[in-house]
Amino acid sequence: MPNVEYRGMNLIVPENDSEWREYLKMAREHRLVMRKCSACGLLRYPPGRGCPWCSTLGWSWQEVSDKGTIHSYEIVAQAIQPGFRDWAPYPVVVVELDEQRGRPTQDEGLRMVGNLVTPDFRPEGEENVAIGQRVRVLFQDLSPEIALPQFTLTGEPPEGRLWRLA
Amino acid sequence: MGLLKDRYCIVGVGETEYSRNSGRSTRAMAVEAIRKAMDDGGLSPKDVDGMLSYHQNDSTPSLIVGPDLGTRLNFWVDMIGGGSSIEALVGIAMGAIEVGMCRTVAIFRSMNGYSELRIGGTGARGAAPVRGQDLATRPYGMSSPGQAFAPSFMRHMCDYGTTSEQVAHVKVAHSKHASQNPKAFYKERVTVGDVLNSRWIVKPLHLLDCCVETDNATCLIVTSAERARDLRPRPISIMGVAGRVSKPRSDFAFAHGPLSRVAGYYAKDIVFPMAGIGPEDVNLTGSYDAFTFTTMLQLEEYGFCKKGEGGAYVSSGIIELGGKRPNNTSGGQLCEGYTHGMNLVIENVRQLRGTADDYCPGWAEGKHSYDYSPGKCRQVKDVEIAMNLGWSRPETGSALILRR
Ligand SMILES: [Zn+2]
Repeated sequence: MPNVEYRGMNLIVPENDSEWREYLKMAREHRLVMRKCSACGLLRYPPGRGCPWCSTLGWSWQEVSDKGTIHSYEIVAQAIQPGFRDWAPYPVVVVELDEQRGRPTQDEGLRMVGNLVTPDFRPEGEENVAIGQRVRVLFQDLSPEIALPQFTLTGEPPEGRLWRLA
Repeated sequence: MGLLKDRYCIVGVGETEYSRNSGRSTRAMAVEAIRKAMDDGGLSPKDVDGMLSYHQNDSTPSLIVGPDLGTRLNFWVDMIGGGSSIEALVGIAMGAIEVGMCRTVAIFRSMNGYSELRIGGTGARGAAPVRGQDLATRPYGMSSPGQAFAPSFMRHMCDYGTTSEQVAHVKVAHSKHASQNPKAFYKERVTVGDVLNSRWIVKPLHLLDCCVETDNATCLIVTSAERARDLRPRPISIMGVAGRVSKPRSDFAFAHGPLSRVAGYYAKDIVFPMAGIGPEDVNLTGSYDAFTFTTMLQLEEYGFCKKGEGGAYVSSGIIELGGKRPNNTSGGQLCEGYTHGMNLVIENVRQLRGTADDYCPGWAEGKHSYDYSPGKCRQVKDVEIAMNLGWSRPETGSALILRR
């Protein structure tokens, strides 16, 4: 799999990247997949080698729904990576997917980091970023072989009260 | 391990100046800091036969630094790491001496942290190739420590109503302390308004919520209590240590909550029982201040206040000189200089000796005015027990309890 240039960074996903290669390939097919433990059945992200909860090495890919809720966020005002300077201020969100919420303990869930973007992949305005907002995955194609999962607002009613930094 | 309580000591401390243009190598700075620590402890080159350092590919190895000091090493390790390394290395030094690999260990950190390799990964490092686990964060413009930690800070504000004003008091307190520290890079006192009006870096962090990157080298020396008895300064005893204690899912900290829970939640159950004390027995803290929020989260997690009440705690005056339990009396990394934690331990050693190097003319003899107005004294009265809370990331931290 060739390297992909994105915002001035080289994303390197070699053939021997046994954790990320298939995950990003399936993202390019616009499928969000998680590793599912063959013993305890729990899903995990990022795609790690063993099960963090029962240590079993057996796993299979499982497609998950593309919906979730913003669990926390930040607004980057001063970009560090040169390729993000023209994007600032931009939101980075921690999203909790609808699958496996509160499992295996009440403080856990399938959480991912991404940008909150508009449907044309510009950073969402800060006034629309809040904890509790409902989002869905939007796949940003970077090459014929790789896509980055991003998040966009669904317009659904928020989960619980919305909270944002005043 | 409880058997080693009070059997090891910190016997020497030293540092270079904190600047933004050292104009010299990390080798030259390391040698100055270690030499000063050796002189401070009354140690000759043949006394020091162990060396430990930590680095982020920005330092000079022990094998190069050792001979510059006339030492021949029986043990050395140069460990990759930043914050939380120093407490871990103190424990490793104790272990190395205990098993007989060496007798006395100098631990150093040397970094041109402003003029050469800046912490946040600016410039070429900002555009470095991304592979492996970094694919989960860096493609989304999340790379610097502030960017990696901000969701934990934000979630604390959401869950507990913590405000920017409350947290700004950490910078206010540390800046007051720095005004009594001739070594501090920033000696000017600031107000809550100054913090809130400084520009945003990554919300919820303003510029003044972030530490001050500097060029510096720092050193402390560990030896056994037996050998320490023959040395000049009052040896400072190590009561307890915890190194790089981590939360579950340290591969991706966002996976395991609560997000605002930090590693001290686990480290406290190691370090306090080892020392045989609780947080109420601690007179002075050095809670790692890479950011104002890191100080608050750790004080809370180690039990100096209840979970969720960190905002009230840090804005109450308790953490200021003259308060019940001052924090980072040197001005810390928010004001004195960013060292990846070493200066916070050095300060606590000097405080426990009663010889904080403030503006009191007799500080070296332990004569202090205890007048905490600007440009005066920063010695804490009757300090018996001091504690360092070392931060690497929300999911990893270290701790060290010292007594005089
Ligand atoms: Zn499992």
